[in-house]
Order: sequence, then C-alpha cells, then structure tokens
Amino acid sequence: MTQQPAIPLFEEVVNGYNNLSASGSAGQESSDLRRARQTAFDKFRLLGFPTIKNEDWKYTNINRFLKEDFALDGIVAEAGAPVAAAYPKSLVEKAAIPELDCYQLVLVNGAWSGEVKGGPLPKGIHLLSVAAARQDPALSAWFEKAEWGNQHFATLNAALFTNGLFIRVDAGAAIEKPLHVIHVFTSDRNVLVQPRHVWVVGKNAELSVIESVVSSSGDTKIWANSLSEINVQTDAKVDHVVIQVSAPGTRLVHHTTVRQKKQSLYNNYTFTLPGAELVRNDLQARLEEDHTETHLYGLYLAAGQQLIDNHTLVDHQKPHCFSNELYKGVLLEESTGVFNGKVYVHQDAQKTNAFQQNNNLVISKKATIDSKPELEIFADDVKCSHGSTVGQFSEEALFYLQARGIGEASAKALLINAFAFDVTEKLKYPAVETYINDLISHHIPVAHA
Amino acid sequence: MGNDNEIIDNIANKEYEFGFVTDIEMDVAPAGLNEDTIRYISAKKNEPEWLLEWRLKGLQAFRKQQLPTWQNFEMPEIDFQKISYYAAPKSKPKYDSLDQVDPELLATFEKLGIPLNEQKALAGVAVDVVFDSVSVTTTYKEKLKELGIIFCSFGEAVKEHPELVKKYVGSVVPHSDNIFAALNAAAFSDGSFVYIPKGVRCPMELSTYFRINTENTGQFERTLIIADEGSYVSYLEGCTAPMRDENQLHAAVVELIALGNAEIKYSTVQNWYPGDKDGKGGIYNFVTKRGICKGENSKISWTQVETGSSITWKYPSVILQGDNSTGEFYSVAVTRNKQIADTGTKMYHIGRNTRSRIISKGISAGEGQNSYRGLVQVGPKADSARNFTQCDSLLIGDRCGAHTFPYIESKNNTATVEHEATTSKIGEDQIFYLNQRGIDSEKAVALIINGYAKEVLNQLPMEFAVEAQKLLSITLEGSVG
Repeated sequence: MTQQPAIPLFEEVVNGYNNLSASGSAGQESSDLRRARQTAFDKFRLLGFPTIKNEDWKYTNINRFLKEDFALDGIVAEAGAPVAAAYPKSLVEKAAIPELDCYQLVLVNGAWSGEVKGGPLPKGIHLLSVAAARQDPALSAWFEKAEWGNQHFATLNAALFTNGLFIRVDAGAAIEKPLHVIHVFTSDRNVLVQPRHVWVVGKNAELSVIESVVSSSGDTKIWANSLSEINVQTDAKVDHVVIQVSAPGTRLVHHTTVRQKKQSLYNNYTFTLPGAELVRNDLQARLEEDHTETHLYGLYLAAGQQLIDNHTLVDHQKPHCFSNELYKGVLLEESTGVFNGKVYVHQDAQKTNAFQQNNNLVISKKATIDSKPELEIFADDVKCSHGSTVGQFSEEALFYLQARGIGEASAKALLINAFAFDVTEKLKYPAVETYINDLISHHIPVAHA
Repeated sequence: MGNDNEIIDNIANKEYEFGFVTDIEMDVAPAGLNEDTIRYISAKKNEPEWLLEWRLKGLQAFRKQQLPTWQNFEMPEIDFQKISYYAAPKSKPKYDSLDQVDPELLATFEKLGIPLNEQKALAGVAVDVVFDSVSVTTTYKEKLKELGIIFCSFGEAVKEHPELVKKYVGSVVPHSDNIFAALNAAAFSDGSFVYIPKGVRCPMELSTYFRINTENTGQFERTLIIADEGSYVSYLEGCTAPMRDENQLHAAVVELIALGNAEIKYSTVQNWYPGDKDGKGGIYNFVTKRGICKGENSKISWTQVETGSSITWKYPSVILQGDNSTGEFYSVAVTRNKQIADTGTKMYHIGRNTRSRIISKGISAGEGQNSYRGLVQVGPKADSARNFTQCDSLLIGDRCGAHTFPYIESKNNTATVEHEATTSKIGEDQIFYLNQRGIDSEKAVALIINGYAKEVLNQLPMEFAVEAQKLLSITLEGSVG
C-alpha cells in the first residue's frame, strides 16, 4: 500500500491517520464522518503525493518540498477546547487592512480562540471552530461530502483535518460589514497544518469575507494544506477576497470548492504576493443550479524562486449560468507562474455564457510562465471564450513615460500597477484596493532588479 | 426549428460517398508484428542492412512503450498482432504510360474524381499514387528531373539516394518518439520522398493520393521532404478509403526539413472512411507529423482539412530552430456521427525572432467530438519570439462536443504569445438575416460554414481548395453545404 515510501511525509500522514482514528477526538464524530475520513484516506493512499506525471501537476514539481521533514500538527487538539498557540502580534498588524470597517478574527494554524475584534457580531451570523463543529451531530453532514476526485491534497485534508472555521449565515441575513479572517501560520518546528473551513450562506443572505494568509519567517518550514467549502444557497450573495502574503519557508496548498444554488452570486478575488516558495490554489466553482453568476479574479505577483500555481475550474452543470474569469500575473526574478483555467459545460447547461482570460507580464529574463486555459463543451447553445497572453512591457508605453521625465523604475512600477488595475478595480471595498495596491508597489522596487 | 433538426439529421446520417472496394490481387504479409515480419518487409523491399537495423531499433522502441492515456477520447483496443504489416499489388510493374495500368485501378481513381489523365492536364500536378503501399506510377517525373528535384517513392529513394535518406530519416521524428512513430519506424511500408535542391523553386504542386485498400492492412506511410537552402515546395496529400467493417489503423510519419531560406508548404485533405452512423468501422488516423526549420529565415506551413476517419489524432508540429524562421498551422476539422478528432499543433520556438501562427477551426455535428490540443513553447534563447493562436469551435446539434486544451510555456521575457478561443453555435440571428434575404436555411448554414472555414481554405493551393470545398460540402451538405 505504501505508494511513496521514499517520502518521509507520506509515512508521517499514515501514522497521523492511525493516531487520529485511535484518539478519542475522532471517536466523538458521527460514524458517517468517520467513514468519509476513511474513504478520503484510502483515496489518498492510492494517489500519494502528486508528481509532474499527473496532468494537474505537470508544471508544479513539489518534489524538493516533499524531501523536508514535517510533523503533523493539530491531531491532538481536543474538542471544545481549541487552543490558539502564541503568535507574533506583528503578523496580525501586517495583515490588518487600514481603514477597513470589519469584524476581525485570527486563526492560528487553523485554531480560533473565539475572539472577534470590531464586534459584537450582528444577528444572523454564527461562527464556530471546526474542532467543535465536526463533533456536532447537526453540523457534521457538512464535512461528509466526498467529492474530491483525484485531488491529492484535498483528500489528505478531508482525512486528517481537525480544526478550522465554520461560518453559517441564516437565510435572509445580510451581513453589512465584511469579515476579515487572518490565517496565521507559525511554528517552532516543521509542521504540516491542515485546516478545513466550511461556510454555509443561507437563502437570500449576503456575506463578504476577506481572508489574509500570513506566516512567520524563520528556519522552520510550514506546509499549510487548507480546504474550504463554500455553500452559496439560493439567491445568496458572497464576496470573497483572499490575500496571500506569507513569508518564505511557507508552502501553501489551498483547495476551495464553491457550490452555487439557483440565482446565487459568488465573487472571488485571489491575490498572491511574493513570499511562500510554493503557492498552489485550486479554486473550483460548481454551478449546481441554473441562473447563477460567478466572477473569479486573480492577481499573482511572483518573485525570487517562487512558484505560484492557480488552477481554476468552472463547472457549468445547469442552464443559464454566467461565469467570468480574469487572472493576471506579473513574474519577476526567477519565479514561475502556472495558470490552468478549465471551463466545463455539461450537456444540460444550455445558454451558458463563460468567459476566461489570463494575461501575463514576464518581467525578468529568468522567469517562466506556463498557461493552459481549457474549454470542454458538451452543449451547443453556448457562448464560451478564453484568451491567454504572455508579453512584456510595451516599449512605446515605457518611452512615452520616460519622455515625460519619469524614471525607468518608476515608469515600470506604474505600468505594473496599471496592469494589475483591471483586477484590483473590481474589489468592493476601496480600503482593500488601496491596501493591495500598496502591497504591489512595496514589492516592485524590492523585487525588480 | 424543424428545418434545423432536419438539416442536423441529414448531416448525421450522410452516407460515405467514396466507399467502395477495389478488387486487385494483393501480396499480403501474415498478420503479426515481430522481428520476422520486419525482416520480411525489409527483404521484400530489398533494403540495405542499415535500414533493417533502424527498423529493428524501431521495433524495440515500440515494445518498450505504452499506449498513451492522456487523449480526450476512449482509446479503442488495438491488437497489433492481428494487423498485417505489408500489402502490395501482386504484380509490381513499373508503367511507362497510363495504358499499362490495371484498368480497375484507373476506375478507382475515376470514382474518386482524380483520374490520372485529367490530373495530367490539370495545371502541373504530378501525382505519385500510393495504392496501398507501393507506388504504382509516377507522373511528371521527367520534368522534375530536369530541375534536379527528386520526387519518388520512399523505397526508390532508399535505393537511389541512400545518403540523403540515411542523413535525414528519423532526424525530426526519432524512431522512439512515440509508440505509433516507433511502430511506423519498424514497419513502414512505403511513402514519398522529396528533395528540392538549392535555390530551386518547385514549379508545380507535388501530390500523393493515399488509399487504404486491403482488408486488415495497416497503412504505415513514411514521408520525407527536404528543402535545401533557398528552395520552395508545395506538397499535397489527400486521402479517401473504401467502406470497411473492421477498423483500420493508419500510423503515418511525415518529416519535413527546411534548410536556410527554404519554404515547405504541406497541405492535407483527409477523407478516410469515418465509420457508419454508429461509429462502426472507421479508420483510426494516428499520425506523427513534424517539421524542422533548421536554417535561418526558413518557413514551414501545415494546412489540413480533416473530414474523415473515425478517430483523427495528430499534431503537425514545427521546430523553429533557425533564427527568423516561421511556422504556420491552419486546420479545419469536421466531426459528425460518432467521429472524434483530437488534433492541433506544437510550435517549439528555439531560435531568435521566430514566429508562429495557429488558426484552428473545429466543426462538430451529430455526436462528433472535436478537440484542439496545442503547445506553444518558447525557449530561453528565443528572443522576441512571437505567436498568435486562434481556435474557434462551431457546434451543430446538442449532442456534440468541442474542447480546447492549449498549453503555453514561455521561458523568455521578450516573447509575445497570444491565444484566443471561442465556442458557439451558428447564431439564429445570422440564419434569420440570411433568410430575410431569400436564402433558405440550408444554404445559409452552408454559407456561414464556408465563411467560417475560409481563413483556412484560402491557404490551400487552388486545385486542392476545390476538392476541400467539395469535401466540406459532402460532409456537411446532404443538407448544409
């Protein structure tokens, strides 16, 4: 059964799973959930860690990261008593968005202390740690969906998760202020952290969430393998911003599945900035009912030897759905960018409108970009298109700016900001837009040699 | 709407017009693939030792490889041991004039609409007819000879120009490239060989009509075209095949080599038997086509019109090695009934200022599945490389599919790569507009499809464009074209 005996992490997760099954923690979960864990784990044992021979990992070689030793974190965390480890407060300050009126909460390695800044929370929204939610018979069904297919890391998380954040919004509740969830990853030894988050946004409800991912830099390596499930019920609206500013030494693998019901709206904005050596985002929007609207926006700014990989899937299952996707990448230094966008239109999904675009600005000589936009269409009455470009600064634009007395470095920074503008302008809150623009500007003079 | 459905039904049920069997005595090798078969083929063709060794290397490579699993269709099971790897007309005469050719063979071509005597009259087309595996007759040979152009069967080239064959065969598609290329290297029957000397512009379109005939005979053509410095050649390949119940495998290899300032234009019209309306009995067309722009300023252009075969699986590619070289790919692929086309191209930008252009038009009707799969790769030394890709898909009917899998890999910051793809059906408003002007729905659809494919059809040489248009009509007409 041991598919990849050469990988210490594989042994570690197999032992970890056995410990989890043996510990009392799993014992209090429903038998269905335990079965779902077993199914996921069996699947993972079969799949192992991905290699470049797996089409979905063709351009993302994680071999060198797998050679490091990691311990499993969180297995022993007991139910009802989520302990948040000590963490450098500066990380939270760094992640805080100035002048944004929001409810702020901090998750340390997936564990939430129960504290909310900017509170109290309004009626209609319920927050719960997953450590508690998974043992609640009324909620455990949300963790039992086992539709991970051949997603290596999602199955691993589904088998081994112990903590995370559960968000529930009652039907008809419109939460006015956004929720700012700060994910802090920190540890004094090499760990694999596997938080799992579930959101349930009820009928006709509205929710806006900003997630920041930060981590402490140091000699220790942290591998965060997160799994998020976002359930958007009929007529609900969800606005979701992800800002990844984690430090070197961090490896982020984040799988998000969005399930949309009738006439719902889901907007996603994913920003990845220099830092973590490996960032892999899998964003899958499953349009399970008709008349939905989905917008996926992404911006990745890669520097150093960073590898940023964005895989998206828009799964049009029913008719009259609209999806729009725009991902933009700026590649500095020796970085690598990977984009894979798939639009799948089922035979039932007539009258689908699906658009996708990926633009890349390759700044440095040693940067690499691999882009693979895909369309798989089985219905005829559809309008689908995708476009992908790879290019560099327009000489004319640079000359224009320089002719007006703007130095080369500033001119380039200006052009990068303009390039990113198409994505940042889509943001709902001006404060977030300003914050992102500052982050981009902060990295350009540093990164651009 | 009733009318639309009728049109669609017509397309879906259209009988294959070129289905017939020619009754000519054949010399067939026993089924099976092993060293003995390879030696048998080699001996039959009086091949030199080095070629036999190369074939055996191909066989070894074939045995080591597995069938791919990444394709976007269900791979039919192929029993390589049940295929006969050699078939040649029994008497193998060399004709001086058409009168000596078996009249039945001539009648076959007559039915195909390519009577040789008419071909001769047509504006300078020399036809090297490959009837199942051996070249039967070659026209215009004398005229080409005057210019120093070599245009002959592969077997003849091995005998008369071994140095050229030895130098270039397998240099673009190595014997171990993929399982079908390995199979071809081991068992290739015959094919065409073209050499254009330095600075010569080939005055006529060179053309080969392939035709699969004997039952259970895989056809393993091997084509090698070399354009020496400053030369130009336009090569046409066209195919039709008779109706068969058993699937027939076609695993050809085409290698193009363009040296400095040379240009090769390779056009294909493929209309093999696509199977009946349940998808039974069609040809499997698994072809490896690749060209290399070896010298500076060279150019290779692939144009293909794919309407036949039950499965078409090929990616004509260009390796852009020389600085300032250009690669082009123009394709129209039509699938209907249960036909499958998984086709596209690969452009490898290696040299500086290399350019490539990809235009792919897919049309899916009935239960046809059409996939575009392409790779644009820009290496670190390919400064200022430029690519433009456009692939459009047209869907007719609600049970067909259109898929796009483009791969873009850039390791150079001065490269500009653009890709765009659209998928849609023929707009009701477009049909309405034409109806308004007194054009009935059937003709309107034909008009739209013709306009849609025009960008590609325009690339074909005149003689071929006519056949291609006819083919598109036959395929989508019945009804639409």
